[in-house]
Amino acid sequence: MEKSPTIFIVPTGIGCEIGGFAGDALPTAKLLASASGCLITHPNVMNGASLSEKDKNIFYVEGYSLDRFARGEIGLKRVKQQKIGIIFDSSIEHKILIRHLQVADACVATLGINVHSYVLTKNPLSIVIDSDTSKISGGVIENPDTLIEAGKTLIENGVTAIAIVAKFPDDSCSEDTNSYREGKGVDPISGVEAVISHLISKSLKVPCAHAPALNPLDLNEKLDPRTASEEIGYTFLPSVLIGLSNAPDIIELPNKNELITLHPNQLESIVVPNGALGGESVLACVERGLNIISVKNQNTLKVTNQFLNFSNFIEVNNYLEAAGIILSIKKGINLSSIQRPLKKIQEISLND
Amino acid sequence: MKLIRVDFYLDWPVSIEVINLRKYVMQNLMKKGEVIRWSIIDIQNSKDSYDTKKLRIHAVLAN
Repeated sequence: MEKSPTIFIVPTGIGCEIGGFAGDALPTAKLLASASGCLITHPNVMNGASLSEKDKNIFYVEGYSLDRFARGEIGLKRVKQQKIGIIFDSSIEHKILIRHLQVADACVATLGINVHSYVLTKNPLSIVIDSDTSKISGGVIENPDTLIEAGKTLIENGVTAIAIVAKFPDDSCSEDTNSYREGKGVDPISGVEAVISHLISKSLKVPCAHAPALNPLDLNEKLDPRTASEEIGYTFLPSVLIGLSNAPDIIELPNKNELITLHPNQLESIVVPNGALGGESVLACVERGLNIISVKNQNTLKVTNQFLNFSNFIEVNNYLEAAGIILSIKKGINLSSIQRPLKKIQEISLND
Repeated sequence: MKLIRVDFYLDWPVSIEVINLRKYVMQNLMKKGEVIRWSIIDIQNSKDSYDTKKLRIHAVLAN
């Protein structure tokens, strides 16, 4: 089957109108996967807390590994099933921990996912969220070593993919949280979530994704539909387990022994919100001369091609148009031939 | 290991082509620590020089 491998990125924590909330870029991912025949995207796009979906044309790859794929350092290998282990932050309250363990059991019983085991961190991860989240969500954890130690323990026990559940401070009444729930602001915790999963990807080189453990929120009748999937269950873990259940293995390159399903050299395009061209995957694709498809998708950043002046750059108004561009690339159709006015072909003078 | 957040401005001289921008930023970040996450969050033309743009970098590093 014809394919045009494409990366789809919606950067975490910059308030994208499409994809800046709770898995609300998932329908777009399905569209682009259908157009390209092969889409590589990150958990933030696919995870809608309790809701998610699998798609045979989508590779679910954590952001740090996705950057490495874009840089050409790793390949991806399709697997039928991952053996998932879960790291729980030891500061999670007992009742909330039990809710998460029941989600894991449900995913085994109802979806047939292989959730193998879990481990509690030796020390609390201690999340610190940046106080100024007006533009970009950020923060760190105070005890990264305890996270990595827990991950190593899972891998030593045969786990091949890792879900992480960290306890986040109770800020259910904060202005940032309410603004986000009503579709007006930046997701205040997603920046730290990315740091947590990046640490595991960097240190252990296995598929991974993160779900926050939060206290239940009060009912909000002004809830934006894009955040609604975070209000229909006790935990955000189901989507993470569904995504990881057949996430591809990470294969370090060069490698002659493993069968690689998708090599970075096959990559043709990256789709990214306009204004968010300053991420590592985009710049790695610029470096490799790939197609940069920039989509109008309002967000807090203004890193545009006006400053980068990259030539292989295609700007479109929406993701429907982006899907058409990808189809054209896949079928080898000259994009100019579909647009008007159509210029005559140029004459090039012979060199003396 | 300790994680730190850094937010700083970096001059991008015109002599460095856009295809080398990622490596240029990485070289500067690696002087400060092991890179966990980074992005350019703003670009402006420099007020001091026509040959330079000013990048604002946000990163999380490990030390």
